[in-house]
Amino acid sequence: MNLSSSKWLTQTLLFTSVSLLSAHSMASMTQYQLDNGMQVIVKEDHRAPVVVQQVWYKVGSTYEPVGHTGQSHMLEHMMFKGTKTLKPGEFSKIVSQLGGQENAFTSANYTAYYQVVGTPHLETVMQLESDRMRNVVIDEAEFLKERDVVTEERRWRLEDKPSSKLNEQFNATAFMSSPARNPVIGWMNDIESYTADDLRQWYRQWYAPNNATLVVVGDVEPKAVLALAKKYYGGYQPETLPTLKPQKEIEQEGIRRIELKGATQVPSLQMGFHVPSLVTAEDKNEVYALSVLSSILSGGASSRLQVSLVRNQKLAAGVSASYSATDRLSTLFELSGAPVAGHSVSALEEALLAEVEKLKTQLVSQDELERVWAMDEAQHVYHQDSIQAQASIIGALVSVGLPANTYDDWIENLRKVTPQMVQAVAKKYLVRDNLTVATLYPDGKDHSNIKAYTGRL
Amino acid sequence: MPSLIQQSFKASIQPGLVKLASSLVMGFTLLVSVAQAGIQVETWHTQKGTKVMYVAAPQLPMLDIDVTFDAGSARDGDKPGVAYMTTLLLGTQTKTLSEQALADKTDALGINLGGDVQRDTASFSLRTLTRSSILTPALALFSDTLTESVMSEEVFLREKARVLVGLKQKQVSPENLANEAFWAQLYANHPYAHPVQGTVDSVKNITLNDLNAFYKRYMVAQNATISIVGNVTKAQAQTIAEQLFAKGAIGQKPEPLAAPIKSKQAVQKNIEFDSSQTYFRYGQLGVERGHPDYYALFLGNHLLGGSGFGSLLMAEVREKRGLVYGISSGFAPMRYAGPWSVALSTKNQSAKEAQTVVENTLKGFMQDFDAQQFEAIKDNLVGGFPLRIDSNGKIIGYISMMGFYNLPLDYLEAFPNAMARLTKQDVLAAWQRQIDLNAMTTVMVGKPQ
Repeated sequence: MNLSSSKWLTQTLLFTSVSLLSAHSMASMTQYQLDNGMQVIVKEDHRAPVVVQQVWYKVGSTYEPVGHTGQSHMLEHMMFKGTKTLKPGEFSKIVSQLGGQENAFTSANYTAYYQVVGTPHLETVMQLESDRMRNVVIDEAEFLKERDVVTEERRWRLEDKPSSKLNEQFNATAFMSSPARNPVIGWMNDIESYTADDLRQWYRQWYAPNNATLVVVGDVEPKAVLALAKKYYGGYQPETLPTLKPQKEIEQEGIRRIELKGATQVPSLQMGFHVPSLVTAEDKNEVYALSVLSSILSGGASSRLQVSLVRNQKLAAGVSASYSATDRLSTLFELSGAPVAGHSVSALEEALLAEVEKLKTQLVSQDELERVWAMDEAQHVYHQDSIQAQASIIGALVSVGLPANTYDDWIENLRKVTPQMVQAVAKKYLVRDNLTVATLYPDGKDHSNIKAYTGRL
Repeated sequence: MPSLIQQSFKASIQPGLVKLASSLVMGFTLLVSVAQAGIQVETWHTQKGTKVMYVAAPQLPMLDIDVTFDAGSARDGDKPGVAYMTTLLLGTQTKTLSEQALADKTDALGINLGGDVQRDTASFSLRTLTRSSILTPALALFSDTLTESVMSEEVFLREKARVLVGLKQKQVSPENLANEAFWAQLYANHPYAHPVQGTVDSVKNITLNDLNAFYKRYMVAQNATISIVGNVTKAQAQTIAEQLFAKGAIGQKPEPLAAPIKSKQAVQKNIEFDSSQTYFRYGQLGVERGHPDYYALFLGNHLLGGSGFGSLLMAEVREKRGLVYGISSGFAPMRYAGPWSVALSTKNQSAKEAQTVVENTLKGFMQDFDAQQFEAIKDNLVGGFPLRIDSNGKIIGYISMMGFYNLPLDYLEAFPNAMARLTKQDVLAAWQRQIDLNAMTTVMVGKPQ
């Protein structure tokens, strides 16, 4: 039985699955746009007297200039530090007293804020959220303290976790000219060098109604939500938003390779090929084909990497493939893993690339396609169990410029993928000159006075 | 897998605690609350004596089943890691299906199968669509993995090698070292002391015979609780529950374990580690599930460090001083007294300052706290009830916990009433009875200054 990792997989799948309109589908989604340009999307789900409000801003680490990495994330922290009318932390206290849950998250593509509350409290949280769209006050003393918090966050997430560090450096190697290289949390030196003015300016630039999407999912009526949205968000003027430069990634013309040494006992590996996303692809079918390819390699217990590298060859302790199909910018098709004792990380690299080669020379089977479709269809139903998952998928799509109902078409599009299409994208993109490899090796130091196990595994 | 939401960073996360305690039990601890618009929980026993918990949820065409055994790592005996390895191996093969055939079938049905091991429990879960062309084979497959699993030497050796890689890696995670040292210190010779997955040395010595013996002894009808939530009627649920163990042994419940003994003196253990942060764990034995003081302890903890922003520890350590990203405290009530603990990590230079702030905050809290804040936290627990049961996934978590620990069926509804009744004096008295400031266990991993 898959243990904890299976839960992680389920979580991941929540955000990857797609929509099949079944008889039971209760999805009823309504879209509006306010006069000031703010998008409003409401999805009804009347199973429980609960509602989630999310506000998504189109700004994240891929928007950040050199020297300012992580600024969107730092601003997200400051959004809890008070407005013209609310003291620092008061927002959270009010939501807490209502029995609500709230938080925020930042990614490469967007920054989002959410509250989950009992339905009667929607208006209160909307009033609060709309207030901080335009009225946040970034106080110098609060800023300095919070900057310390973010450095602690970076230490916790990155500095003492070599595999996370590897991922960060892998990304910065694979992308040279594209801001997709920026770490979401920011480089430590950039974090330490932010000023309060940097954040004030960042806030003014991007936190405007015409750069925001309101997503509400739960026990609500769309028209009532629209009326509240007009009341609380509708009064703000639209702003002139900065025009982003294209900052396209340069073409890769040969394999890139980095090594990192760290506090690890086991080496590991991360590999990636440049590929288009649903936003950047000229031919969207390539994206669906890559998505199917990803599932064939690593979606479920019957997938190829699991069967071949873990079970048959007994080479990998863990291995996976991933593809961020809905990034704003061109993205990577990734493979990663760690070998079991007795096998080298280079043998694992070879074995992974051998699986990639197989995709180019042999067509995938109809059975494999059917399994991918079955899993995706089921996951779509499962994801409706959570109002937050439903809202997050909508918000993430809209924030990169994709239609809100992208999921509703996703399964249909996957079903059109043929073995030939999978082979074609493998041949086109999964090639050596387009590959970046990052390897983590033990640094050989004794990090602890606890004696490490040195015997044969 | 394509991932829509990749690399998200939240303003607040509570590191450590969830890993520190069993994620299952701790999850319930932190979330449990309250009810007016309750859910209808029903219970019965199968012919073979398995307890069943059931909630109808007809709105989505899906079904969740959880089967929990009293077979957690506390039942490892002198083979730490055997419960974990057994759970890992179950469902790899059955009498009729090879590993490959089982995997192909699972994916072709689009079902999610999972396993989870904690100190008290080993549990297995199924999530499936309820379309009969899927439901019928899915239930048959799930039943086979529970009652007709075959563990082969080949798969055993392979999985053992993989587990050992993970365990070896954990030896250089300061966060993990802190958690393990804390449990070890708190529980000494008690079966809760060792890590759920065992250690490199202990797992190395586990044999396939150990696994088969564990499976035969503990994964039996009398030792199971089945929980069912989804789009099936009660009659269907009854049939499902009977059939899950139709081919399984009746067996018997294991003997109770001895209760752990509370340390009467303070202990501090520092483990030097070359890391940028010091990983700090602080606490002592709390109470067991069903203890009469639990409500008051829980409510107080919610104010102290269990409710994220606005809780006293978050305010003092993060918001006022910027020393940490995450800090939280929590009780993990289990079959026997589980820990109460505080978890944080901070740069080495501020480790001792953070420790002092935590100690002073706890001390102050146990003397007195603000009445208005106390009322606000009660409002949070009562008002937040609908959020706790707004999905099938959350509901099955609660009812399987209630079933396993033999809590009353109205447990969820009773919770808010209990919260509403509790006074400040009740909370202070319970904390003073159960928490001894002079008998704290402290663990630091890093280079604390």
